[in-house]
Amino acid sequence: MIRFLLKGLIRDRSRSLLPMIIVAIGVMLTVFVRGYINGIMVDMIEQTARFSTGHVKVMTRAYEENMDQVPNDLAMLEISALTGDLRQSFPDIEWVSRIKFGGLIDVPDENGETRSQGPAMGIGLDLLSDHSEESERLNLDKSLIRGSLPETSGEVLLSEDFSQKLEVDPGEVITLIGSTMNGGMAIYNFTVSGTVRFGNTGMDRGTVIADLHDVQRALDMDDAAGEIIGFFSSGFYDDEIADPVITRFEAQYHDEEDEYAPVMVRLRDQEGLSLYVDMTNFMGTIIILVFMVAMSLVLWNAGLLGGLRRYGEIGIRLAIGEEKGHVYRSMINESIIVGVAGTIIGTACGLGLSWLMQTHGLDISEFTKNATTGIMMPNIVRARITPPDFFIGFIPGVLSTLAGTMLSGIGIYKRKTAQLFKELEA
Amino acid sequence: MKHLTIILGVLLTLGVSAQTADEILDLVDKNMSSDNRIIESTMIIHGKRVSRTITLKSWSVGNEQAFTEYLSPAREQGTKMLKIENQLWIYSPSTDRTIQIAGHMLRQSVMGSDLSYEDMMEDRELKEVYNAEVIDEETVDERNTWVLELTAKVADVAYYSRKTWIDQERFVPLREELYAKSGQLLKRTDLKDVKQIQGRWFPMKMVFKDMLKDGDGTEYLITSIQFNQQIPEYIFTKAALKQ
Amino acid sequence: MKLALKLAYKNLIGAGLRTWLNVIVLSFSFVLIIAAKGILVGWDRQAKLDMTNWEIGGGQYWNINYDPYDAFTLEDAHAPVPSQLGADIEAGDMIPVLIAQGTIYPEGRMQSILLKGIDPDQTILELPTRKLDTLVGATPVIIGSNMARANKLEVGDYVTIRWRDANGTFDATDICITEIFSTNVPTVDLAQVWLPMDSLQSMLLLSGEATLLTFRDREKPRDEIANWKLMSYKALVQDIEEMIKTKSVGQSIFYTILLLLALLAIFDTQVLSIFRRQKEIGTYVALGYTRREVVGLFTIEGGMHAVLAAVVGALYGIPLLIWFARTGITLGVTSADYGFAIADTMYPVYSGTLVIGTTLVVLLTTTIVSYWPSRKIARMNPTEALRGRLQ
Repeated sequence: MIRFLLKGLIRDRSRSLLPMIIVAIGVMLTVFVRGYINGIMVDMIEQTARFSTGHVKVMTRAYEENMDQVPNDLAMLEISALTGDLRQSFPDIEWVSRIKFGGLIDVPDENGETRSQGPAMGIGLDLLSDHSEESERLNLDKSLIRGSLPETSGEVLLSEDFSQKLEVDPGEVITLIGSTMNGGMAIYNFTVSGTVRFGNTGMDRGTVIADLHDVQRALDMDDAAGEIIGFFSSGFYDDEIADPVITRFEAQYHDEEDEYAPVMVRLRDQEGLSLYVDMTNFMGTIIILVFMVAMSLVLWNAGLLGGLRRYGEIGIRLAIGEEKGHVYRSMINESIIVGVAGTIIGTACGLGLSWLMQTHGLDISEFTKNATTGIMMPNIVRARITPPDFFIGFIPGVLSTLAGTMLSGIGIYKRKTAQLFKELEA
Repeated sequence: MKHLTIILGVLLTLGVSAQTADEILDLVDKNMSSDNRIIESTMIIHGKRVSRTITLKSWSVGNEQAFTEYLSPAREQGTKMLKIENQLWIYSPSTDRTIQIAGHMLRQSVMGSDLSYEDMMEDRELKEVYNAEVIDEETVDERNTWVLELTAKVADVAYYSRKTWIDQERFVPLREELYAKSGQLLKRTDLKDVKQIQGRWFPMKMVFKDMLKDGDGTEYLITSIQFNQQIPEYIFTKAALKQ
Repeated sequence: MKLALKLAYKNLIGAGLRTWLNVIVLSFSFVLIIAAKGILVGWDRQAKLDMTNWEIGGGQYWNINYDPYDAFTLEDAHAPVPSQLGADIEAGDMIPVLIAQGTIYPEGRMQSILLKGIDPDQTILELPTRKLDTLVGATPVIIGSNMARANKLEVGDYVTIRWRDANGTFDATDICITEIFSTNVPTVDLAQVWLPMDSLQSMLLLSGEATLLTFRDREKPRDEIANWKLMSYKALVQDIEEMIKTKSVGQSIFYTILLLLALLAIFDTQVLSIFRRQKEIGTYVALGYTRREVVGLFTIEGGMHAVLAAVVGALYGIPLLIWFARTGITLGVTSADYGFAIADTMYPVYSGTLVIGTTLVVLLTTTIVSYWPSRKIARMNPTEALRGRLQ
């Protein structure tokens, strides 16, 4: 029976192709929209994660309590051992060390004396290792205004506005004056390799981005860092991944006595992101629900249309003596085949599209004319593929098509054999 | 006669207290100040987590010129600081940079200590800035002291008033407290281990403490001090920083 | 034309369920586009409103040296209030604010903060400045909830602050927290303390001076004043506008897809009805309709989906959107717990332009999509069509 139906479907393309294309397009849109909505809804969260909170963050308890003061004197020591342990215990999470710091940027004149000076906030992150994804993570490439990204040790990026204020160009030397981890004076020379835009006035006014190892050297923080940040391999924050990780971490490292014992904080508990995480989940669910309903209605309609399209054919089949029930069942079986095939094709295409948009992102900077891209305001929209995307398409794709066919098929039972030939003659 | 003696005695005592607050400061000055001095010292900064020890050698002429070189730790070795009147430069050998510490930076703490650059920069004599008055006598570290209260007579001072406890015999301050205009105690310095050097009494250990903040403060230990030496003029130039 | 509309309407209603499915999907697009845009507009308006109410009023004059991103500039960023603004201040339409750096010492820790002086009687900003009139044993201050949380402070707590007056002399005093306010504007909350203007001026020895002046009226033309920078409302809210613009592009991609989906359904319907109703088309032509008229008839029929969708959308959309706008989208959390620049409840705002614009866009696109397959009619052979021959 199925073989027969398949043959029919394959040979009569008008019977199979158009409905299948419609189902496929519908399912593709559903899958893609879901990925897309998930992507843009979490974008703001992920932006914060990439820039500062990570999905989880490890720091000393004392550091955590004074986090807004960037207390590097309370930073973690022996981080390579700790990072090694973390990588072993949680291989699915990518661990990166970062140092935030404050200081003064001083630009020398030809005698090496102060020409201009300004207060700065700094971030030290791994820019130079081969496998490091940090510069990609912060969208540094796209945010570059002048010069190039740091390629060798000792090179830094300045925010563009800051570089203008200090009147310093890529290639020139600047000196960081800050305080070392132990409270000593840190004076360290860097070469400006380029300038970037953040898209946030405060950061654009005075920020320096340097390689982690340079910052460690500059601030006498050998094998120390303020924060070890973890990113989930999925690329997206999820309470359900974070919570067991934190529980296991606590079991291993919790130490009530030691102020400098490492503690782990999830994204949700940082910078008031809890509200946003909840809102994102809520809004995302509503939008996807509405879309699913809409999609189902469309495919239902397509099912109805399919039934109408084949009005004549069914007439003939009934006329030559096929049982009404048989026709009805075969129609339904066909619609299941069409639905499943269409859904598979649609899901594949939708996932493909989502995947493209997840990995490459869509640059929307052309649509936002004045706003140039920046580290804090990436004009790249990304989709996000989650497991339900693999089967979500079956609801509109198969069920709705089926419902449409079933409803339109009821008409078969209403048709009177006596009138069939009259209809056919016409 | 007996009465006279008593009256005279009272008058004398009163006289001493009333008239000599300035004189006491003069005596202290005579004891402590010199045309120039060369000090080798150790500074111990008690941080929240670790304590740091820095050794320094400094040359100074009066209150206006000072040149300091860091001898250790290795990281800071060779760092030099030059102060001429109210200007301050720092030279760091690792970067070969001479950086002017100006304006707001002067209010930052020196090397994480409880002292700001500005605290070290004050170059006016106390008498120029403050009206002094003896308000009490107390015993500090088993030594009798005059308690002097100094109240600012000019507007542009960092600390509106100070109290200092001066050893009545050696004319060395043993304790100093710095107050805000509101009368709030801000900082306290304890001066200890008074020794006689080149005929002067001098405290070899000082402990600075920011009273609003928790912590153990900063210790300053003098390992050697020489007064009135021959100090070449060039040492107080920016060129000397780079040498 | 009237006949065409009537015919189109009858045909559509006659199609029953199929029409209604299309109409419902299309109405989703309507409602969602309006809702989504409304949320963004509401967000934008609320963010600006919050800034207006808490920080910037109708705009500000800044002392020429004032730079909100560089606290070091504060030392020099003050001057006597310009005399020509006296009348505005007297009338309560402008308030001077004085800002200085200070240090707060909660429980032996220290943190750099800003001290901000403001007139307790001001009515321009929502800051609960009346509480600065409270009689307590120390200088009364108000702080934001985030500041309070970061430093573990509560109403009634006494804490020491230290600052330097205009001469650089250290001074310190105890302050008493008389009120903790919660706001969505972190720039009046984080790391700062609000004091009575008179107190701060005398603490700093800067009697009659200010760092910035906030005025009430956004529209009133303002003069440039020497050594003061006029910061217009527009300039002050620029960051918000850029962010919203980025968001709106990301959002529009979504409802474009939804609209596309609805259009796909209508397209499919059109293709089928033209295929199935060839006899009807033949009849129209036989009755003397020109082909263009027939194309028009079918286009109107398709386009009428949009009209029906507007009606259906209005039926459930208007109550829904009004309810949305009334209650806002609340997330069951209080803003006091968050240091975020967004409100815990967002109230969508729908403008007439938005509703009319959306209707026009949907109507136009639906009509185009309906016209597209109808063009086929123009190529039909009427006699064949009349006989119902497939073409």
